Amino acid sequence: MMNEDILQIQDLSKAYSRQVVNIDGVETNERYNIIFDLDLDIPQNTITALIGGNGAGKTTLFNIISGITEADSGSIMYCTKNQNSWISLLNQPPHRMKKIGIGRLFQDNHIFLQMSVLENMMIADSNEWGEMPFVSLFNRKKNREIEQFRMKKAKDTFELLFGRDNPFWQKRDDLASTLSYGQQRLLGLARLLMGKYRLVLLDEPTSGVNPMLANTICSVIKKMVDEEGITVFLIEHNMKIVEEIADYCSFMSHGKITAFGYPRDVIGDETVRKTYLGM
Amino acid sequence: MNYVMHLVVMINIYIVLTTSSNLLVGMTNLLSLGQAAFYGLGAYFVVLGLVVLHLPFLPTLLLAMLLNAGFGLLLALPSIRLKGDYFVFATLGFQLITYTILYNWVSLTRGPYGVPGIPAPKLLGVLEISGLVQYCILSLVLAFLVILVFNRLIKSPFGRVLKGIREDELSVLSLGRNVTMYKIEVFVITCAFITISGFLYATYVTYIDPTSFTLDESIFILSALLIGGTGNLKGPIVGAVFVVLLPEVIRFLGLPEGIAANLRQIIYGFFLLVLMYFRPQGIAGNYQVK
Repeated sequence: MMNEDILQIQDLSKAYSRQVVNIDGVETNERYNIIFDLDLDIPQNTITALIGGNGAGKTTLFNIISGITEADSGSIMYCTKNQNSWISLLNQPPHRMKKIGIGRLFQDNHIFLQMSVLENMMIADSNEWGEMPFVSLFNRKKNREIEQFRMKKAKDTFELLFGRDNPFWQKRDDLASTLSYGQQRLLGLARLLMGKYRLVLLDEPTSGVNPMLANTICSVIKKMVDEEGITVFLIEHNMKIVEEIADYCSFMSHGKITAFGYPRDVIGDETVRKTYLGM
Repeated sequence: MNYVMHLVVMINIYIVLTTSSNLLVGMTNLLSLGQAAFYGLGAYFVVLGLVVLHLPFLPTLLLAMLLNAGFGLLLALPSIRLKGDYFVFATLGFQLITYTILYNWVSLTRGPYGVPGIPAPKLLGVLEISGLVQYCILSLVLAFLVILVFNRLIKSPFGRVLKGIREDELSVLSLGRNVTMYKIEVFVITCAFITISGFLYATYVTYIDPTSFTLDESIFILSALLIGGTGNLKGPIVGAVFVVLLPEVIRFLGLPEGIAANLRQIIYGFFLLVLMYFRPQGIAGNYQVK
């Protein structure tokens, strides 16, 4: 295993069954490979972009890594603390991913719209004290202290990412639904810094966001890597952003990684240009 | 005055039922049709403590809560992973099975003959709570304590996770919380606290039989909750007051009994229809059950 990797994926496959009815009305089950014998290594403390057309299997790959979807075969090894400590991510329940340091930003926002901005941050804290019913009932003093600590952590995170007079802290008591779509995206990213993550999977973080906010999102992602030492694996369709922020780029087509390297090389690859970029 | 105090006791019994159910339905988005089954089981466990084991008030209540929580756990373990309508059907199945057992296992529950002469509970083993005034106070104290407990739970980090589950389970999972475990905890807590209603009812009426804990009663409890509203503490209280007082208001209209009973059902149905259309979160609730 290469020393600098945080994630090593080998021979990963996932197929779905779909029912097909032919012209005579005969029903048959057809296997459809969404991921097929996929190999990919993600280097530590870097930003690795995953590009590819719709239906290539990118989100399914993220779902398998984060435990939401089960793989049919293959292996995903994750480096937990040091290079001697590797664990398999296959068959891990999704709620365990946070405990081993893997975070996720979904393609749809998936923030809690009916909670305040501050509550959205506090629920993401790595410290789960007070979340058991008996503890929440009886340890009021310690609960209050930890809630104060969570608030301070949220404030510090907002300041680290968006500066002192940021709109998020000013709107901390407003419902998250009152934020613009782009701000909700940023809140989702900021929330990831409340946990102790070593690897975050970002599914199209800049989609549907105006260019100014997209720039802010990019700078937040860079800060995650440079200042927090987090490894970022992101799906992105904007090649300008990929070239700007990614250290490595992988191209996925028909369930396989067909190109991996520096962003400029992958984006310049003839097959990628023809099959994905339409150039 | 006795009439008013009787209404206060009944309102408090329903406040405990709706407030407990709110944690399940309003905070965690788990629609259950088995509330009357746990209400009934709670009442029968109280009979076990008071009549069979001759235990004092507090040990009886605690034992009944523990046993009901155990039954809640037994139902929750296989059914909590079921989604939406399937979970509703699982709780419906439990309701029907429980009623059938309570009704037909005559040697254990006395079936349709019911259990008469349930003794009044004794506070600290000495002070017997038997009069209407004492019952009124006891029910007020217990309802207040239940509201206090649920107020703390809802406003705690635990309540925040429940709100998260209600809104977006996948997101809560990705934040590292074991959603299934939380749902089981909520189910067990709800069942344990519903027992307090069973306790108040059994010792107040001094007679229980399975017909008080039917599917109709489950629907009635759920209707009270949906009419009052979910997701906060005001809604369940408003719902309980509404469903207990509405028949009394109709009574004052002077309608014949046969018509009044039917009119009550029609008004409940009408209110539900109007609310679902104009205020789906209920009169005082802040969350729309999905």
